[in-house]
Amino acid sequence: MKSANLWIIIGGIAVAAAVAWFSAAQAAPGAPQVPHGVAGQEKCLTCHGSQGVRPVPSGHAAFDEKSCLGCHSPSAAAPPAASPQQDCLGCHVQPSLSMTLASGETLPLVVNRKAFATSIHGDKLSCTGCHSSISAYPHPESEIPSRRDYRVAQYELCQNCHFDNYTRMLDSAHYQLLAGGDARAPVCADCHGAHYVTPPSQPRTEVSRTCSACHQDVYSEYAASVHGRAISGENGGDVPVCTDCHTAHSIESPLTAAFRLQSVKLCSDCHGDKELMQKYGLSTNVVKSYLEDFHGKSVALVGKQSKEIWAEAAVCTDCHGVHDIQAVDDPDSPVLKANLASTCSKCHPGATANFPGAWLSHYEPGMDKATLVFLVRWFYRVLIPFILAGLLVHIGLGLWRALKHD
Amino acid sequence: MAANFIRFNLSQRVQHIILMVIFTALAVTGLAQRFHTAGWAEWVIMGLGGIEQTRLIHRIFGLLFTLSIVYHFSEVAISFFVHRSRLSMIPTLSDFRAVAIAVKHGFGFTDRRPQFGRFDYSQKFEYWGLIFGSLVLTVTGFVLAFPVTFTRLLPGQVVAASVEFHGYEATLAVLTIIVWHFYDVFFKPGVFPVDTSIHTGKISEKRMLEEHPLEYAEMVAEALGEADALPAEQCQPEPAEHEIQSPDTPESIESPAAIPDAAAARETQSPHACEKAT
Repeated sequence: MKSANLWIIIGGIAVAAAVAWFSAAQAAPGAPQVPHGVAGQEKCLTCHGSQGVRPVPSGHAAFDEKSCLGCHSPSAAAPPAASPQQDCLGCHVQPSLSMTLASGETLPLVVNRKAFATSIHGDKLSCTGCHSSISAYPHPESEIPSRRDYRVAQYELCQNCHFDNYTRMLDSAHYQLLAGGDARAPVCADCHGAHYVTPPSQPRTEVSRTCSACHQDVYSEYAASVHGRAISGENGGDVPVCTDCHTAHSIESPLTAAFRLQSVKLCSDCHGDKELMQKYGLSTNVVKSYLEDFHGKSVALVGKQSKEIWAEAAVCTDCHGVHDIQAVDDPDSPVLKANLASTCSKCHPGATANFPGAWLSHYEPGMDKATLVFLVRWFYRVLIPFILAGLLVHIGLGLWRALKHD
Repeated sequence: MAANFIRFNLSQRVQHIILMVIFTALAVTGLAQRFHTAGWAEWVIMGLGGIEQTRLIHRIFGLLFTLSIVYHFSEVAISFFVHRSRLSMIPTLSDFRAVAIAVKHGFGFTDRRPQFGRFDYSQKFEYWGLIFGSLVLTVTGFVLAFPVTFTRLLPGQVVAASVEFHGYEATLAVLTIIVWHFYDVFFKPGVFPVDTSIHTGKISEKRMLEEHPLEYAEMVAEALGEADALPAEQCQPEPAEHEIQSPDTPESIESPAAIPDAAAARETQSPHACEKAT
């Protein structure tokens, strides 16, 4: 009897409590309707925490309480509306926002609002301008195997605006690698960056440094060369950076016969420029003297025949070096007199110390340089007209006499 | 049809044809390289399959040219040392006198014309020009083809000088052939439109008398003196050459030789058919 009463009491209290709790919950002041406005003082996670009455979806793990209003409008804290950048950056500024890819890599999903705003696209593009597949939250599911796959997949987006450079890129050696399945080949964002694109040649030194990300060996050679050393000086604008010779988008393989043939033009574009060369006391006669000599003549004629033929005769870089090019009076220059014989013997095996004299080192023959050549040249320049005039006079006299007499 | 004399033997005729082909091939492939920026030169080089191919052809013909020079010198040497023939191309004092007379004649200071033997001074000039030119071109050509080998001993500038020598000498040679030789064998009064004697080996009596009276006289004298003494097989008579139709004696030539005896000389044979010299 005693225990039965006890159970009734306990049951009664429990029922009362349950009723009280239920009615209290129903009638709790400020219990929000959905959607509900917020005044900015609420602790969102009271209700929307994982233990709350309406927990946030699983994708929100990276966010903390302060960022809710970055996406969810304070006036109607419904699932966020799409489009305006602010809405995306409401979430994507969270340093911890990232996703784990199939490869196990972590793909950060963070954009620095300020850096994006100052980028070249800051005032031109909204997030969805590029990320057009995402128009609402929750985002559509996407299978991204790895970070590299994601970047390679994304580069197609740039052509929407940059179609000319995109098509140029399709001719490039980089694209050939990419099309051949080499995912290491650079796509737009590898050189230009993704969200923080700045004018690629400001400052100019940045160009070559961009290439150095992959071409480190070449870059160190270049950086130590006469060109590379001058790049950060006051006349840095005069010396070539990678893209001046290799171009930026349609980058050809420099190993082809065609590139070799046109390499002479690359050098002579600057070294044939009188005004530019004068500044450095360099002669522009180098181009002319090269083209008039055996090597230049041969290369020019091979070029006229076919761009596919490997010109055997030397081009500029065969003697002067390519990325490691030095001033001609630099002790390391392959065309310094002491180094010439070994430079020549790259193509002319067995060349002795005498051999380089066969080449006049871009000089015009004169009494001071290549005297023998100069004398032979002038001997014939006098002799030939002299002999021909003699022969013609002789013929003339003979004919005149013959006609007069016959 | 006047009587003909044998002027060039078979070997000389063949040498001329070979030289003609080689010279033309070298001139075309060589000048195209020298003047490679000209449209025609480019056309030639591309037509021959590019610069490498053109160079190869030039070098092959250069080698043939060298061989033909060696052959020619050997022939001259054998002719001189073994057969004891006269070297009729050697310039003599009379050649210089002939030039003086020719100049005077040309300007109208004298009506006398120079008298020539087997080769006149212009032919000798051309021959020696060819010989010296060939030496210059052959030597420098080899220097250019094997620069590494030559600079083992010689200074490098020799190679650069060879380029100049080779190009200018060749230019001079081609211009001389066009101006001088072509005038001599095509346009000169007396041979126009073409002198065929280097191909047929024959020259007319009329031209012998006009152009080589001293040789003619010598031949006549020799024939008269030796006709009876010589055994027939040594001199290989060529009867076809001697159809005598008009023994007309050429006039107006100040030749001291025995012109009236010409007919008699022809009747025996051409004495020149015996000559094995150049």
